[in-house]
Amino acid sequence: MKNKERMSNLLIYTILSVLSVIWIFPIAWLVMQSFRKEGGAFTSYIIPKQWTLDNYIKLFTDTRLFNFPRWFMNTLFVAVCTCIITTIIVLLTSYAFSRLRFKMRKPLMNIILVLGMFPGFMAMIAIYHILKAFGLVQSLTSLILVYSGGAAMGYYIAKGFFDTIPKAIDEAALIDGATKNQVFWKITLPMSKPIIVYTVLTSFIAPWLDFIFVSVIMKDNYSSYTVALGLFQMISRENITQYFTQFCAGAVIIAIPITILFITMQKYYVGGVTAGGAKG
Amino acid sequence: MEVKSTFNKIFSLFVYEIKNFFINFIKGDLITKTSYFVMGFGSLARKQYVKGLFFLLIQVLYIIFMVSSGGYYLSMLKTLGINTQGEVWDEKAQIFRVQQGDNSMLLLLFGVSAILVTIVLIGFYFWQVKIAIRNERLIKEGKKLPTFKQDYRDMFDKNFHITILLVPVVLTVLFTVVPLIFMILIAFTNFDKNHQPPGNLFTWVGLSNFQNIFGGNALWSSTFARLFVWTIIWAVFATFLNYFLGMLLAIIINKKGIKLKKMWRTIFVTTIAVPQFVSLMLMAKLLHDQGALNVLLKNLGLVSDFIPFLSDPFLAKVTIIIVNLWVGIPYTMLITSGVLLNIPEDIYEASKLDGASPRQQFFYITLPYMLHVTTPYLITQFVGNINNFNVIYLLTGGGPLSLNLYQAGETDLLVTWLYKLTVNEQNYSLASTIGIIIFIVVSVVSLIVYNNTSAVKQEDDFS
Amino acid sequence: MKKLLSTLIASLMLLSVSACSPSSNNSTTTETKTGDTVSLTVWGSQEEQAVLQGMVDEFIQAHPETKWDIKLGVVSEADAKTRYLEDPAAAADVFAFANDQINDLVGAGALYKVTRNAEEIKSRNSEGSIEGASYDGQLYGYPMTADNGYFLYYDSSVFTEEDVKSLDAMLAKAAAANKKVFMDVSNGWYIASFFLGNGGTLTIEDGVQVTNFNNEKGLETAEAIKAFTADPAFLTGDDSILVAGMGDTIAAGVSGTWNAAAIKEALGDNYAATKLPEFTTKSGLVQMGSFVGYKVLGVNSQTKYPEQAMDLADFLTNEDNQKKRFEARQLLPSNINAASMPEVSEDVAIAALQAQNPFGTSQKNVLGTYWAPAEAFGATMEAKDYSTDLKTLLDTMVEQISTKPSSN
Repeated sequence: MKNKERMSNLLIYTILSVLSVIWIFPIAWLVMQSFRKEGGAFTSYIIPKQWTLDNYIKLFTDTRLFNFPRWFMNTLFVAVCTCIITTIIVLLTSYAFSRLRFKMRKPLMNIILVLGMFPGFMAMIAIYHILKAFGLVQSLTSLILVYSGGAAMGYYIAKGFFDTIPKAIDEAALIDGATKNQVFWKITLPMSKPIIVYTVLTSFIAPWLDFIFVSVIMKDNYSSYTVALGLFQMISRENITQYFTQFCAGAVIIAIPITILFITMQKYYVGGVTAGGAKG
Repeated sequence: MEVKSTFNKIFSLFVYEIKNFFINFIKGDLITKTSYFVMGFGSLARKQYVKGLFFLLIQVLYIIFMVSSGGYYLSMLKTLGINTQGEVWDEKAQIFRVQQGDNSMLLLLFGVSAILVTIVLIGFYFWQVKIAIRNERLIKEGKKLPTFKQDYRDMFDKNFHITILLVPVVLTVLFTVVPLIFMILIAFTNFDKNHQPPGNLFTWVGLSNFQNIFGGNALWSSTFARLFVWTIIWAVFATFLNYFLGMLLAIIINKKGIKLKKMWRTIFVTTIAVPQFVSLMLMAKLLHDQGALNVLLKNLGLVSDFIPFLSDPFLAKVTIIIVNLWVGIPYTMLITSGVLLNIPEDIYEASKLDGASPRQQFFYITLPYMLHVTTPYLITQFVGNINNFNVIYLLTGGGPLSLNLYQAGETDLLVTWLYKLTVNEQNYSLASTIGIIIFIVVSVVSLIVYNNTSAVKQEDDFS
Repeated sequence: MKKLLSTLIASLMLLSVSACSPSSNNSTTTETKTGDTVSLTVWGSQEEQAVLQGMVDEFIQAHPETKWDIKLGVVSEADAKTRYLEDPAAAADVFAFANDQINDLVGAGALYKVTRNAEEIKSRNSEGSIEGASYDGQLYGYPMTADNGYFLYYDSSVFTEEDVKSLDAMLAKAAAANKKVFMDVSNGWYIASFFLGNGGTLTIEDGVQVTNFNNEKGLETAEAIKAFTADPAFLTGDDSILVAGMGDTIAAGVSGTWNAAAIKEALGDNYAATKLPEFTTKSGLVQMGSFVGYKVLGVNSQTKYPEQAMDLADFLTNEDNQKKRFEARQLLPSNINAASMPEVSEDVAIAALQAQNPFGTSQKNVLGTYWAPAEAFGATMEAKDYSTDLKTLLDTMVEQISTKPSSN
């Protein structure tokens, strides 16, 4: 029995290692490119012939054409705000749909489900003009609003999660005289760590990746660009040969805060509802 | 039949409410009657100052809005502008001075916004009328009116759903509903290259865009059909392969006795951390005919000529689906391991005692539970993949292009094709017409599926 | 309740305030009074910013009688049309764009006609650039550069000056040296050089692209493309493949001045460039044509200060400033005098571009429908997929180029 267990674990380790190699390979390639000393956008070999830190140093010192540090701080700011607002909205919306019962619940759920299904790229111009009407265009605030404005439409995943938390727990609390507000903060939320981690992570990532909305909203306001749009400028036809390795370095730097965030949040990941329920 | 009866129900409810609205006006006392004209009066005159002032303020703001600009935009909705941009010769400056005209696009957008503001106002109006009537009734019955303090407490208990849904709904309306209505309306206009603001006006053309689509040329409709089929195939593979493989990964990482769980998870999540446009661009370079992977395979002597990962019509489709696995599995792993942790341990213990094998445990416990919780997630993923612009656009750009398709490539989805049509031809009205067709198909299907899933049907009886 | 109230009121107020703002649409732009501060925005690509700033400072110094407030914004020439059409009112008063956008921009009423000082502008810039900045014979923009074209880079250790005159000779010699001749044939921009060289035309009639790429000569051309792509010494790919392989596996390649520095570095002493070669068709040798594109400054039709904006655009594209732009960025000037400076012809790549220009066709008359079918044809040739005969392929390509998806 024990042997069999060991064999299956061994098999799992092998699978995991192979998969890790596949998943890490492109990332490793990216990292190697970022340390490549030879210029050019492309080499037919994989491992650089000469290594250098210059690409990183230039990214932070040579800000004449590409103000990477500035863009990085912009993105960090937008990402933190977006992540907080989105997480709150998603949790509130899904809690309402999962736990509360009210007249318009089903229709509202269906409407919000359907709203997310229209191909969105034409909406950008409309959103731009709405923001402009509020006097917010070309500001970081407008970006935060754009990224968190659609948050409610992502309630499904969290709702599905809340549905699995036994209702008996909140019913008991309600009988003890707690308000629904208290139930949400003191009982449901502490049990929802995995879903919070998921929501925080995905919403924190969004601003680092988008280069379409930000180009419509920022237009010529170069100093308010986010890193994704800024990096995109580095790989235009005129720039790619000279800046490709710096571009890779930039991409590696973007990955750092997200990875750190995940690692720090991981400890909340273990122990789901059951553990929380037992403690509560 | 059911639809008809629902419709009848709604209709009779509507008639009933309207009838009551007038009856209550006739029966009501002076205060209630006044509240039909001055919003919030039914509360103000009965000492609910905060509530009353709130409604009054809304009415005042609405009037200011309509007088200052809302009325103008509403009136322009019918034509979408009448003054075309013109020019007059200015001898002194030696220029044709431009005289600015109306901008149809902005008139449409702000017209839609004005309608929406009006709808919101009507909502508040009926709400405050109801409050006025209820107040009158409560006083007649000799009961006390709810105080501000009571209302405030209700916001966090009885009416908690209104409190917490308010901000999400307002944001959704502003950033999703208004743009959506705007886009839908574009399909009924002639907004294209020849009617491009600021120099030109566009206007309503009724259903002629829809007629054009269904009566378009043969190549056009065959392109639509072929891309539609590929879009569905892609969405099915991209959604379900990602889901099952991601879940399997989560299960084996979560398996008891597997060490370094955090490390494994972090490895996969690192790939999420690299911006998608970067990783997809790298993938495109890696898989290029002369790319690193081909060079590697050649050097190892595994192939004699390069493998056309992205330039062969069939292989490109397979490659895209596989690359999408690389992109998507870490996400599914994240979400499913969250849910997996929620399955009560004792169910597994019990089944183990009954002699269930791991495979049986998976099919009889894990999978049903997962499906129950994540069907909505699957649906949104499916829809997301139908509209998955990024992966296709950044990886192949729709290529390899083919002359058998109209302005499209073998791996183009409907949505990337749409994008190309708007960019190349600026035919916004046509694009939004196709958009509406996709939208209707997708939303009908997913509404039916969603409302028939166990997750929704038995959401109250689980656990 | 308090929280709720304040949120509601705030959002409502915002709504009402917002809707008040954009109602001043119908006013005619009035002449500016002297003494007003004239605020203008200029859009240029981000590589252009430093050069632009210097020129703007000079402009302000040269016109002390007006109070100026001139801002620069980063929008590349390629994105100008898109950014402009999203919100014309927020677009710059003077903006740089690639001249293939001129049809759409004029169609959208985006540009002021160039009437101030028009004769001088026309006389100081090359004929091609003036044509490229005009629509229906009316000048709409200020030509700035004539840089957007392509030519042949080659490795002079492999080819002699005589070899590079003929594509066939190059392919033979490259094959002998076990090297490749690079051209991105699956790209509408490059593949056109074969057709355009052999009498192919692209014109616009009633907003539809008309072309004769499928006539008898077109078929000859297609045969030549087929032979070229089937040659073992042929190589396709994007810029990065060319730059990485040049001097190594690639002996010659078709590209533009933006790759000059990188290719020069790769080839060192063997760095050379010239006009595109001749290719062989059934009826004999044909010089390859090419697309020629210009960077142009336009004045936004929505500007408050048209005269001042025009004077600025005029200044930014005059002879002195085109020379400066050349010195800073090595972009071939459209100004006749600036283009004939000795430094211009000393630059290998720019001299080659200049040599190719007489065989060029303005990219202005190319509509959006052209690119995808042309690319599809090139891709079919590169994939050596000969399941459909060439004539049918060409007919399909031309049909696609000339159709409109709808008829409203």
